[in-house]
Amino acid sequence: MEKFDLIVIGAGPGGYPAAIRAAQLGASVAIVEREVPGGTCLNWGCIPTKTLIASAEFADQFRHAETLGFKAAAPQIDYPALIRRKNEVVAQLSGGVASLLKANGVKWFHGTASFLTRNQINVANGSINTVLEAAHTIIATGSTSTMPGFLPRHSRVVESRSFLDLTRLPASVIILGGGVIGCEFACLLARLGVQVTLVEMLSDILLILDEDVRRELRQVFEKKLKIRILTGAPLTDITASDEGVSGKAGDQTVSAELMLVAIGRRPVTAELNLAGIGIQTTPAGHIPVDAQGRTRAATVFAVGDVNGGPQFAHAATRQGVIIAENLFAKSRTAFDSLVPSCIFTDPEVGCVGLTEAQAKEQNRAIKVGKFTFAHLGKALASGHPGGFVKWIADAATDRLLGAQAVGSHATELIAEATLAIRGEYTAQELGRTIHSHPTLSEAWMEAAHALHGTCVHAPPRRS
Amino acid sequence: MVNAIIMPKLNQSEDDCIIVKWRVKPGDKVKKNEILFEIETEKAVLEVESFYDGTLLKIVVPEGVATPVNATVAWVGEPGEKVPDVAPPPPAAAAPIPAPVAPAATKTQTAAAAPVAAVAVTAPVPFPSAAAPAPARRQAVSPRARALARNSAVSTDSIRGTGPGGRVVEKDVRAYLDSKGYGQLRITPAAKALALREKVDILTVRGTGDSGRIMTGDIERSLRERPRALSKMRQIIAQRLTQSVVTAPHFFVTVPVDMTDLLKFRHVLKTRGAPFSVTDFVLESVALSLVEFPAMNSSTDGKTARWHSAVHLGMATSLEDGLVVPVIRNAQDLSLAELHAAVVALAGKARDGKLLPDEMTGSTFTVSNMGMLNIENFTAIINPGESGILAVSSTVQTPVVRDGRIVVREVMKITLSSDHRLIDGAVAARFVNAIKSKLEDINLWKSLT
Repeated sequence: MEKFDLIVIGAGPGGYPAAIRAAQLGASVAIVEREVPGGTCLNWGCIPTKTLIASAEFADQFRHAETLGFKAAAPQIDYPALIRRKNEVVAQLSGGVASLLKANGVKWFHGTASFLTRNQINVANGSINTVLEAAHTIIATGSTSTMPGFLPRHSRVVESRSFLDLTRLPASVIILGGGVIGCEFACLLARLGVQVTLVEMLSDILLILDEDVRRELRQVFEKKLKIRILTGAPLTDITASDEGVSGKAGDQTVSAELMLVAIGRRPVTAELNLAGIGIQTTPAGHIPVDAQGRTRAATVFAVGDVNGGPQFAHAATRQGVIIAENLFAKSRTAFDSLVPSCIFTDPEVGCVGLTEAQAKEQNRAIKVGKFTFAHLGKALASGHPGGFVKWIADAATDRLLGAQAVGSHATELIAEATLAIRGEYTAQELGRTIHSHPTLSEAWMEAAHALHGTCVHAPPRRS
Repeated sequence: MVNAIIMPKLNQSEDDCIIVKWRVKPGDKVKKNEILFEIETEKAVLEVESFYDGTLLKIVVPEGVATPVNATVAWVGEPGEKVPDVAPPPPAAAAPIPAPVAPAATKTQTAAAAPVAAVAVTAPVPFPSAAAPAPARRQAVSPRARALARNSAVSTDSIRGTGPGGRVVEKDVRAYLDSKGYGQLRITPAAKALALREKVDILTVRGTGDSGRIMTGDIERSLRERPRALSKMRQIIAQRLTQSVVTAPHFFVTVPVDMTDLLKFRHVLKTRGAPFSVTDFVLESVALSLVEFPAMNSSTDGKTARWHSAVHLGMATSLEDGLVVPVIRNAQDLSLAELHAAVVALAGKARDGKLLPDEMTGSTFTVSNMGMLNIENFTAIINPGESGILAVSSTVQTPVVRDGRIVVREVMKITLSSDHRLIDGAVAARFVNAIKSKLEDINLWKSLT
């Protein structure tokens, strides 16, 4: 039986960085994966969708070429070519992960892992079973799209992973679910010329965001991208046939060629035999962990989507690295609570830390500083004057607590805000930091000034 | 006509009071019986009413200053009337000065007592000032040095001055910062802003951020750890109980009481609509026993002993942050039903903070019942001036030997604390057994109910 200091189950963004960091620290490490290196993020999530979104963005710019001063015919979309490009990008990155693991001496086992005991793991690959022994184990098995039973089982009803394998773009689509995944797909498809209907049961789409950000988004979704958004009622009477799919949302009838289901993801734990090692999952199926990722079983840890924390690749990666360092560098770091979120819609959204709504819920005294891109030179020059950034700061100490950006490059812009909040900067100091001109990041500086009513480039705020 | 408002004398033991809040301001119309201000005494915050109609012309004593009783604190009269030129009384524990006021003013009334109250007393006890001891000397610090220290978020307290007369100058602050490795100290901007605002010396704060960087949370923790003034009530408790422990040599006698029969009988009574509590039975037994043992119902100052002819039973009652001891007067004369009614009324008032000063003073013996708090046994500290206190613990099912066999009985332990200056072991033993035998005598309770 082969023995390791650490076995990582799952080679996604939570698992492979943990394996590599542990190997860097001198541990003997095995990684078990039943599919391909990179997990959902790299193969069927973040990376493939962003590849397609880049193409869609280009098509969209093309469509509005005359506003930038040139004439161009409407773009012809070659969807199979888009998918080919996506597959190339994914293959390159996945191969990169495989070679990084190899270069760091992490041993690869292909198959499905299940616990025999806390320290013994069976890897089933077809009919071949291999038993490995580990001092420590990190579960990084991730999550998969939810397809509840009320949905018809039909080839025209798909979730995000199988959608990405389609080689033909439908003319129209119903997207079920107004969360991050649903909205990203809605914008992607709308920009590729697909007629999109978005159905969300809750009162609004993207409820994690503050109301002003949502308003800005809906404005663009509905006016520019012509996405039909139906909120506040579940989709009922769903039928699927070879002609298409249809249903009812409240008193509205919806129909399309295809339905894309994006109503959430559930953790993957079924084959692990968690009960056998004394780990009870939550009703939602997550593995409960403490602030350092420890499960009820002393030598077993869990990172990423499977532990019920923030469902982001970057959160999982940081958690995996923290556990590797806690184990093999003898540190005692807790998981970070500050996790930025990025939404690759049109316009993009970046969000980190406290929102205005949360501050209100906590009855916390805050100050808000906002700056719209319409007042910013670079935003106008580059033809993206929509959106704004805003800071949320503690009213008493001026400490930056949260930030949201909506507009062009918002997902890049949020990094500065994350750094400033983690470093516990005050709005005053952020405002005093010189930001190069003309750039979009100047908006943060201006918004920090606006928070104190000292913004030069915006009219005085009406009280 | 101009009338003086004076600091009322509320209690024999108090020579001065602090006005904690003025409810009116100069120029306000005031009516007779309208509340003018709140004062904090050793036992309570009380509201003081006006005895005059008119306009508040002048406040002589501001909030927060200890003021002798009978001193003029304000003037009430007609608008525009001239106020006699009286200097505010010297603050704090100076000897009471004769009141320069009209006799009518002595009629100033006290209104209902506000929540706070503390351990009852029978004898006046000198009470040390609640204020922290004054700093040994005022440290001389140059303005530049002070500004540097303040902007660096450090305290100058432990900086040695090299200026004239030991004055701390800027150079000293710089040397101090260097010697403490201030340059290497890492602190986030927001944490520093908070430290500056709350005057936290960041050299005393341990950082928990990356590489020991001081984070906002670290400053907040240090703020939470800052010493806080005890409430007036806790200060009184501390002072009284320390005094009791130091002056009265305590000794303790514990007996188990078999409550099985009485609890059964209590259940019967309850079904008959007479909901007596264990506390009622204990208090009644204590009252009856005190009549038999007058020595236990006495007090001493160390030189003289004084036997009390009446039993005034204190019952220690816990509040959110402290305790009060409401007093059942003449408990020896009350029937069990009357005793029960008194207990219910006083406990309710204690909970609501509605006890009057009179209802919290003058006890001759005290009972502390922690039976509902799931404890086997405890000892209580004697209420100063009394000769004993009875600690009542939880009733617990216990194996007991009866007629050579082990049986399960409901057993409640009671522990008597006695002041050895007045009470010797034999008396204490007989007294506590007198209580025990009453509680175990079911016929007694049948006759009392």
